[in-house]
Amino acid sequence: MKIDFENNWPKDIYDEMLDGDGNPRPIARALYDHLASVGDDTFSSRLAAVDTAILTAGITFTVYTDSGNIDRAWPFDVIPRVIDANEWRVVEKGLKQRLHALNLFITDIYNEQHIVRDGVFPIEVLKDSKNFRQACIGVRPRFGVWAHVCGTDLVRHSDGKFYVLEDNLRVPSGVSYMLENRQLMKRLFPEVFGRYRILPVDNYTAQLHDTLASLSPREGDRPVIAVLTPGIYNSAYFEHSYLAQQMGAELVEGMDLVVPEDDCVYMKTIDGLERVDVIYRRIDDDFLDPEVFRPDSCLGVPGLMRAWKAGNVGLANAPGSGVADDKVVYAYVPRMIEYYLGEKPILPNVPSYLCMIESEREYVLANLDKLVVKPANESGGYGMLIGPSSTKAEREMFRELILGNPRNYMAQPTLSLSTAPTFCEEGIASRHLDLRPFVLQSNKLHVTQGGLTRVALKKGSLVVNSSQGGGSKDTWIVEGEY
Amino acid sequence: MLSRVAESLYWMARYMERAEDTARLINAVTLMSLDMPAGAEFGWDSLLKVAGLDQYFFDHYEEADESSVMRFLISDEKNPSSIMASITHARENTRTFREVLPWESWEWVNELYLYASKELDGNLDRRIRHEVLQGIIRRRQSIVGLLVGTMSRDPALLFLSIGRNMERADMTSRILDVSHALILPSEASDDLLWMNILKALSAYQMYRRHVSVHACSRRVIDFLLKDRSFPRTVAHCLSEISRILTGLPDPEPVLAAVSKAIATLDSADGTALAKEGLHEFVDSMQSEMNSIHNALKSRYFSLSHPAEASETATQ
Repeated sequence: MKIDFENNWPKDIYDEMLDGDGNPRPIARALYDHLASVGDDTFSSRLAAVDTAILTAGITFTVYTDSGNIDRAWPFDVIPRVIDANEWRVVEKGLKQRLHALNLFITDIYNEQHIVRDGVFPIEVLKDSKNFRQACIGVRPRFGVWAHVCGTDLVRHSDGKFYVLEDNLRVPSGVSYMLENRQLMKRLFPEVFGRYRILPVDNYTAQLHDTLASLSPREGDRPVIAVLTPGIYNSAYFEHSYLAQQMGAELVEGMDLVVPEDDCVYMKTIDGLERVDVIYRRIDDDFLDPEVFRPDSCLGVPGLMRAWKAGNVGLANAPGSGVADDKVVYAYVPRMIEYYLGEKPILPNVPSYLCMIESEREYVLANLDKLVVKPANESGGYGMLIGPSSTKAEREMFRELILGNPRNYMAQPTLSLSTAPTFCEEGIASRHLDLRPFVLQSNKLHVTQGGLTRVALKKGSLVVNSSQGGGSKDTWIVEGEY
Repeated sequence: MLSRVAESLYWMARYMERAEDTARLINAVTLMSLDMPAGAEFGWDSLLKVAGLDQYFFDHYEEADESSVMRFLISDEKNPSSIMASITHARENTRTFREVLPWESWEWVNELYLYASKELDGNLDRRIRHEVLQGIIRRRQSIVGLLVGTMSRDPALLFLSIGRNMERADMTSRILDVSHALILPSEASDDLLWMNILKALSAYQMYRRHVSVHACSRRVIDFLLKDRSFPRTVAHCLSEISRILTGLPDPEPVLAAVSKAIATLDSADGTALAKEGLHEFVDSMQSEMNSIHNALKSRYFSLSHPAEASETATQ
């Protein structure tokens, strides 16, 4: 299978496998040679095997518009992405630094607000924040940690450096696909693994378990941990079930839990009520507890907030963590790192223009055709304007949206996301990608070795979100000589 | 173990068993129909009576000919107990408790579902039908083997076993019940009827080895109701349920219902039932089994919301 560099390979963009002259980068050479040595027939039969394996394994991701079908197969690309372990160690440090600072910020913002008083963070940012929760004011969770699980989206720019695109602190998903992608690669291309020392990823579920267990309000080495899912129609149900299974935790729905007068959480079992110590909730704050948030929610558990505030149950991520998962707050993260940790940020932000600030808003409105405009609180790639590929009507619509609610919008230059060879209809072609590593924090910090590489399967597209038709690749952090 | 999960496990096993038993029944009956003398009509509608679906069938079909009855029992989505519908229900239930099963069991259940969706589509002539239904039986048996071979004897496995035995006992009693309705050529002997009933339950070979080479009515009735060692008899299934229950917390109310059913069973006399009263007796067994189901429900499942999809599928 030949990777045809001359075939419209963009030369002004960083490619993960090929350098500017179209030669494989040293780290990718063994993979490149292997791909070149595999005949087209062999390659096709491997691809067919991948499809069958995904279908049978039922690795699925639901797309909400795909009505009635809750089993859209997970789109997986068989060509892995390779990253040098030395480079990764720096990224890893940067990710830990970032989550550490974010958690300090959340504690501060729900308590004394030193950062506001010291003039580093303008409180107006939080005025209309959808994710600032009154109910969390004055709460100090264990270890000062709110966001225990963070999915940080990184992109590699044409300068070859990684930038942070956003911090997902609410209910980030995708980690199960990272784990399943590795399993698929081992099953289908075992011979390639012999050529590299690839760092394993499968200790994630044990680390997640330990992170959750450390939040247990009761002594003892086997706390009762439950994964709270909205149910089988949620796009990430596969993942909820996968993680519960891997951790030996219970997979519960809201209706399985009850909080009686004693402010403890119990699940309804064949043995009667059983106390739950820690809940890894995969439901948004809004739906978590109808006593406190949306009263019409039937996904949540009435009284859950009471139990959490009384210290009778650990909740990950803590309610209110989303306050820092906001594309406007994002712009302040480098300043937070310096303020709380007295360190220089290791990973840079993408330059951002906040529409709430007049001069920046004017710049954004004058350059709508060049920028990516994002709403502050959406996830999954919804509600964005991608300037260079937008129509005049779309730009006009966003102009009005921005003027109507400037706090809710920010803009960034269109980045030249790096590319990697990807198997597509036309053979192997270049496609844009990003990277979502997962970071865990309780009394310890862990970062996945690599993460989920998401790839835009449409030619030229920069939208990698799974909910918008993106695919994924196995990501290899490679150690030592190659 | 969550109540909701316990109930889903129980139903998953029932659906799986229903799919397999229906496949076995259809294969046995198809072979039986091949033994018909020239000119004789085979009553395909007797299969509908086994499933208790004859009235429902005629709401949708004009005539109970082979191809309509087969489509209805095998692939028709309008029939909530068709093989395809049962496998679909079993798979949907499995989706809700993948975390309590060995991870690969979902793959196997999924594989069974994908096989069934692909193969059961369209008209199946007799030759292909036999092969495809065998394929379903084999896959389902692999799943049982996987679960029994790789699961701890925990409540999850116990609820699966209870569901499987409940459905089996149900199927055996249904087949006994329609014995009088199976239409056979008038010149056929009584033995032929009872032999075929044994075959429909995959019990013929073991009956011959352990009871008799002749399939006479009183012996077959006694065997299918009261034999403790063949895994598809009513007595075996009930005593299994009773044994399994002792591994669950506070099973007394359910055990009482099972003991009552076993006592009723013990009072049965094949010789007398062969002459008259079989239908009435099977009716009373069915109602005992309903009591067991209700006892299970109120003891173990009632803390959760009723799984409504499951309810409609119990006939």
